[in-house]
Amino acid sequence: MTSATSPTSTTPVTTPARTSEEAAGGIGSSPVRPDGTTKVRGEFAYSSDLWHEDMLWGATLRSPHPSARITGLDIAGALAVPGVYAVLTHADVPGVNRYGLEQPDQPVLAEDVVRYQGEPVALVAADHPETARRAMERIRVDYEELEPVTDAQAAAEGKGPAVHPGGNVVRHVPIRRGDPRATADVVVTGTYEVGMQDQAFLGPESGLAVPAEDGGIDLYVATQWLHVDQQQIVAALGLPPEKVRLTLGGVGGAFGGREDLSIQVHACLLALHTGKPVKMVYNREESFYGHVHRHPAVLHYEHGADRDGRLVYVRARIVLDGGAYASTTGAVAGNAATLGVGPYDVPNVSVDCWGVYTNNPPCGAMRGFGAVQAAFAYESQMDKLAQACGLDPVEVRTRNAMSEGTVMPTGQVVDSAAPVAELLRRVRDMPLPAGPSGEPDLRRLPGGVSNTTHGEGVVRGVGYAVGIKNICFSEGFDDYSTARVRLQAVGGEPAATVQTAACEVGQGLVTVLQQIVRTELGVEQVTVEPMDTSIGSAGSSSASRQTYVTGGAVRAAALAVRKGLLGRVGHVPGELSVSGGKVVSTRDGVLADIVDVLGDDVLEETVEWRHRPTESLDPETGQGTAHVQYAFAAHRAVVDVDTELGLVKVVALDCAQDVGKALNPQAVLGQIQGGSAQGLGLAVMEEIQTDGGLIRNPSFTDYLIPTVLDMPPMNIDVLELADPHAPYGVRGVGEPPTISSTPAIVAAIRAATGKPLTRVPVRPEHII
Amino acid sequence: MIPFDYRRPDDIGTAVATVTGNPRAAFLGGGTNLVDHMKLGVAEPELLVDVTGLTSRDIERLPDGGLRVGAGVRNSDLAADPLVRERFPVLAQALLSGASGQLRNLATTGGNLLQRTRCVYFQDVTTPCNKREPGQGCSALEGYHRHHAVLGASRQCVAVHPSDLAVALAALDAVVRVQGPGGERTIPAETLHRLPGEHPERDTVLEHGELITAVDLPGLPFGPRSRYRKARDRASFAFALVSVAAALDVAGGLVRDVRIAFGGLAHKPWRARLAEDALRGRPAAPDEFRAAAEAELADAQPLRDNGFKVPMARNMLVSVLTELSAEDGAA
Repeated sequence: MTSATSPTSTTPVTTPARTSEEAAGGIGSSPVRPDGTTKVRGEFAYSSDLWHEDMLWGATLRSPHPSARITGLDIAGALAVPGVYAVLTHADVPGVNRYGLEQPDQPVLAEDVVRYQGEPVALVAADHPETARRAMERIRVDYEELEPVTDAQAAAEGKGPAVHPGGNVVRHVPIRRGDPRATADVVVTGTYEVGMQDQAFLGPESGLAVPAEDGGIDLYVATQWLHVDQQQIVAALGLPPEKVRLTLGGVGGAFGGREDLSIQVHACLLALHTGKPVKMVYNREESFYGHVHRHPAVLHYEHGADRDGRLVYVRARIVLDGGAYASTTGAVAGNAATLGVGPYDVPNVSVDCWGVYTNNPPCGAMRGFGAVQAAFAYESQMDKLAQACGLDPVEVRTRNAMSEGTVMPTGQVVDSAAPVAELLRRVRDMPLPAGPSGEPDLRRLPGGVSNTTHGEGVVRGVGYAVGIKNICFSEGFDDYSTARVRLQAVGGEPAATVQTAACEVGQGLVTVLQQIVRTELGVEQVTVEPMDTSIGSAGSSSASRQTYVTGGAVRAAALAVRKGLLGRVGHVPGELSVSGGKVVSTRDGVLADIVDVLGDDVLEETVEWRHRPTESLDPETGQGTAHVQYAFAAHRAVVDVDTELGLVKVVALDCAQDVGKALNPQAVLGQIQGGSAQGLGLAVMEEIQTDGGLIRNPSFTDYLIPTVLDMPPMNIDVLELADPHAPYGVRGVGEPPTISSTPAIVAAIRAATGKPLTRVPVRPEHII
Repeated sequence: MIPFDYRRPDDIGTAVATVTGNPRAAFLGGGTNLVDHMKLGVAEPELLVDVTGLTSRDIERLPDGGLRVGAGVRNSDLAADPLVRERFPVLAQALLSGASGQLRNLATTGGNLLQRTRCVYFQDVTTPCNKREPGQGCSALEGYHRHHAVLGASRQCVAVHPSDLAVALAALDAVVRVQGPGGERTIPAETLHRLPGEHPERDTVLEHGELITAVDLPGLPFGPRSRYRKARDRASFAFALVSVAAALDVAGGLVRDVRIAFGGLAHKPWRARLAEDALRGRPAAPDEFRAAAEAELADAQPLRDNGFKVPMARNMLVSVLTELSAEDGAA
């Protein structure tokens, strides 16, 4: 990185010039986010800012034990505290006391057992958070502690006590392709570990539940998927769906950590029970117990190749620790297995992946979703293979790179661009950062401003990695989104509104939806209505899917509105389009103002839009066209390592990624920078420390995430190779950069130190 | 947090008498550590006596070339003071390597010295901890302890002291001025903090009710040639794995005098007397520095997961002294 480059001056080298067809503020431009200014100024209303005049405060009593039998529960003391309006236990759950994204295995409130530290046992509503806290201290819970199951490997092998009646294997995913007994001249093996990463979103779980006159409830909450929350709340409350209405509160980051329920059912229970609005807000410590984390993983790999480094086979056994409840463990295991060999063309594959129950903290969705864990292992293996064959790390990857037409280990044929080799070449050919010269800038050295080194004992290393991610929901899931677009004249100007239930979680979806409507309807004024359940589901803001699926739905709805608009013009010569608030004919130019065509009418269309279907995996062979789309990113990391102190400074972390089509180039860069930073965190510092099932560092003082001093400026090269199956050719952006960032950094540290480094995060003790 | 009373007396004597008279009273300075502990239930004072308006916020020159730092001087102000930066750069560097800008703006000199360990078990009231509740046992011995002590620990406690400032003060032979119910006394900074022994609940030698009023930094001619270094898990806003405060005086290629203290290794800032003694009169050369570091660390007794601190401390000391000796030679 040259000194002239700052984090904001990243260069999207290949982003092509915009064409005139793209409306002002339409797709391909980077208009100002409507929420941007208020967030920077601290004026944005997050869900933790929700307020109601006569509201109560809810609080959650949680299990201090990772595994215990509840032998007694006495709430009388808490009820006696002045200012307490309700104390609820599992007996007060009117519907089914179970929820879960894949299977309803998690109690809303614990019954006779607790399976992880932090499991909710009772709820309190009170006039003040402090009253609620004091009341919780007066709830007596008798626990008979049990030996926790903490060894995921043993759980996968069926050893030890069962955390749930059906045993500890949540899902086993086998993938079999080609000859299971293939042999090769060059064989490299390794066992790798990935620590438990936290999403570390800045806005802790929060929401406000308001009881309604119809006996129902209105819930305002920060979440990733309103309708899947609604489904689970409805079941627990025993209410019909129309009586449980959700509206998205201001979301302070998600990264997968808001896919599962947190306060949702609890706040509703308390509000319905007391007849008053109830607000719940976790503090940072409670947040660590209140959401799922990234699955820790142990991965055994064997790669066989010919002497030229061409892969003959890959065999892998992956164990993902899902913790106490299933959450999305099954889907995470599906990803780790189907993407387990990486973006490479491998004729013979045998992968087994187990997602298991233990009494460790529950794990589920986090950016990269199974692909992150596998990538650390397979990319470490590719470097080992390069070394064994005497090849450059880029060369060994390029020789094995998959491309359009490649058959995946699942038998799925890759039917759009897969520029793996190109991405690698692009990061390789970027200029390398200059070495330190003259008086070094301490901020650029390992240890940074701690004055730990002035350059002595510092060794530089360069590492590469490339990753693959499936975009959208997979394995036969009915993945759709609903959008309503309305067009009318307001104050003499054409104005459009967009309604969806798609959650803006900070990724910039609201802006992108506005851009799509501007482009398709030729109007500048586009309002995105608050996201709520008054319209059909949009699916989750996860799996890098929302621009693809909700973007697709909004586009389809806008096109339907446009068709209706142009239909009102009647038959005229030439082809009609809309632009700049006018209806335009290819032959005669401007025909009319949109407002004149509309008159007092409102044109409105609602569309439920689906991407092409996927198939489930064969449970024996793992064969099936399970994924909608694949996305790829490559990183080159440059690190300086103080070998005497074991400290690492990532001095460059450059990325090339194919995004199909950059609807909002600035947002694309933001996703790549943020994803790369999250990958850096996993590489060198982020880990939830557990010990006997107990979390040891539930604070941002003890769970470290990168600061601006740890994250280097990036060179970013954005490719736009349109996917013909996707709206506008888009390819999901959010997750791929997280996947290749981590292994590239570790490869660079290995190159600098010669250490094996088989576990992330890498710490000073692994280097010194 | 339990309910508590808050008082703001008019003078130090009243403050000291108030706290002395109530075993569950505590002084409140910047509150950056105490308030956290009250929220966690680690500290449960029933009375807070606010001394922020009472203790001095001034930095005065002493006749011997030293400085007197009022206990109420905020960490940011101390680090930015031109005399401190000129005469004792190690002190400014230590302060600036600690916490964050916001915390340094609030944290006081006295409070910084009295901050308590960041041991995760000490912070978590649901786990046994002898420092928090004597007799419960130490969870860190067999638990998560990569941050813990390798020197001077006991079976009762393996926690480390978290202050960066205290390490620099120990190296600089600073003197802590204390006002107690019986009047004033002074305590060498090096002996303010204790080793855990059989009483890990006591971090310092202060009696209940004693208030730090100032810290004296005696004049040190080679103070300008001093350094603070700190290794940690990220580039800023993290506690030390290992830190070193050192000042070096070289004449004719020989070590004329030297001051060394380590942070992150023990229950107190670890003044490296063995290393200092080994170096005086010896050539200012990396081999000598290494031998001295190894002499100091010979008695280290790492736990299962913190053995890396020993080579880290050794390498850091060699590096700091090598750098200081080069600077001295050039001067």
